[in-house]
Amino acid sequence: MTVTSLPAKAPAAGAPPGPTRAPRRRRRLGYERRRAAWLMLTPALIHLTWWIGIPVLATFVLAFTHYDVLAGTVTWAGLDNFTEIFADETWNTSILHTVVYTFFTVPVAMALAVVIAVLLNAKMRARAWYRAAFFLPHITATVAIALVWMWMFEPNIGLFNAVLAMFGVNGPAWLSDPDFAMAAVIVVSVWKGVGLKMLIYLAALQSIPPETYEAADLDGASGPRRFWSITLPLLKPATFFVFVVSMIDAFQVFDQVYVLTPDGGPANATTVMTFEIYRTAFSEFRISTACAQSLVLFAFLLVLTVISRRLTGKDDDAR
Amino acid sequence: MRVKPSRVLLHLILATGALIMIVPFAWMLISSLKSHAEISAYPPVIWPTEWVWSNYPNAMGFAPFGTYFRNSLLIAIGHTVINLALATMAGYALARVPFRGRSLIFMAILGTMMIPTYTKIVPQYLIAKGMPFFGGNDYLGRGGFGWLDSWWVLIVPGALTPFAIFMFRQFYLSLPTELEEAARIDGMGEFAIFGRVMTPLVKPAIATVALITFENSWNNFLWPLIVTTRDDLRVIQVGLAAFQQVEKTEWAYLMAGSTLATIPMIVLFLFTQRYFVQGFATAGIK
Repeated sequence: MTVTSLPAKAPAAGAPPGPTRAPRRRRRLGYERRRAAWLMLTPALIHLTWWIGIPVLATFVLAFTHYDVLAGTVTWAGLDNFTEIFADETWNTSILHTVVYTFFTVPVAMALAVVIAVLLNAKMRARAWYRAAFFLPHITATVAIALVWMWMFEPNIGLFNAVLAMFGVNGPAWLSDPDFAMAAVIVVSVWKGVGLKMLIYLAALQSIPPETYEAADLDGASGPRRFWSITLPLLKPATFFVFVVSMIDAFQVFDQVYVLTPDGGPANATTVMTFEIYRTAFSEFRISTACAQSLVLFAFLLVLTVISRRLTGKDDDAR
Repeated sequence: MRVKPSRVLLHLILATGALIMIVPFAWMLISSLKSHAEISAYPPVIWPTEWVWSNYPNAMGFAPFGTYFRNSLLIAIGHTVINLALATMAGYALARVPFRGRSLIFMAILGTMMIPTYTKIVPQYLIAKGMPFFGGNDYLGRGGFGWLDSWWVLIVPGALTPFAIFMFRQFYLSLPTELEEAARIDGMGEFAIFGRVMTPLVKPAIATVALITFENSWNNFLWPLIVTTRDDLRVIQVGLAAFQQVEKTEWAYLMAGSTLATIPMIVLFLFTQRYFVQGFATAGIK
């Protein structure tokens, strides 16, 4: 990350602020500054410990114990919760659905994003407007906009099937058809996700110096050729970053799944891992089971991040 | 010179793409103003013959969208204010004051940025539920509902984001040391230096963090969904989802509700695009 490599601007602890001051004053000043710093830092540290630190540890602990909500007792369970969840057909299906969802959403959205970013990375009229249009879905509420898609996917009077009918195609029932529900969710997610990825790519593209292309220009390389041989390799750190962020997002997809296909969709066609965790924890109140499921999700994210780091090289700092 | 594809083609591709992105928003607005006959017509009426503005008051009659809207607004403003206050202080301390353990704390904060929602949300719920002395709980947090169904749980847990601390640290780091030293020689206290000298210089970061915090808070769904059951505490996204599950076919009202839930962010975004783009491009994190 960029952060860690930055040099600390402030002098090291105890270093003299100026040659003219007396040592005692200097020591007092250092003390005062440190006291102020701790006072400023403490509220944030308490908040982060309380609402992130403890919960993360608790997830790990609860996943290996039996937690009884009513009695408030915790007993050691070993791997019981994990054997329990993997014996659950619905949970295993939800893993498959999450993988399918991610497999289609992330690469498609990334490919679209990089192409749009390259097209937008030129001086042209209305550039800011195009960028705003592509980015707009990202900043609007998923729930609200998923409802709009639901309306467009409406089988009888919705926009999609009306357009399909113009071409003589008899549209499916989309969200209530087990064969098409996941596809519909993926379409919405690609539409919503393309903007942020485009923006990160655009920022990366703008940091590529124009001289980079000079040699290619001399050789008379074509546009697509320049894209494959120069632009894409230079975008490798950005790609790693976008990939990891997108995957973490995709594996945690919830809002649009919850709204578009309530109760796991037709014949459980769209239950994803997060939906199962939600169902286990907050409608069945099987807390420990839900924590075990959360850890499986966490393990997926961890492994995928490590693998993508291996694939794209170690340095993600340039992004 | 490099061979450029024709400008016309470029604009054609981009305009088509942009149109696809915009269609759902346009369809939402148009549908929210259609009469009952026109919204259930087949094939769909693209441009309504009459614009039914009364859909909005009618939708509010079906569900208290006014209350939902106010709740979302209060929570989003609360999150923004608290996040700015706590994160500027923490970011400043981490950037400008050398002390033992500073880099360790900073690394830990970076670590919390990477934690996925689902690795913490179940215990977060338990912590809220077990808050001692609240909602009928005893001193050990047993017996009642704690913070569940209260303003506390809607505002406090989401009020600070590690991302904001990170952003502010980066901005404070880039300020020159001379300013700080000059102020110190003038006899200013450490807090005055922070508040009156340094913080006014990170205004762009404040704008960026404020907008992103507001946006995340306004659009947040999962947390308010699990911690509230009372209708008068629902935020607009949860209220909208609940309304949909009851009135499945009232599409005009649903689109009116969706419009209410999205328009504030769209307007805010169009007017402050620069800060949004800058924030997302440099951090790239939701």
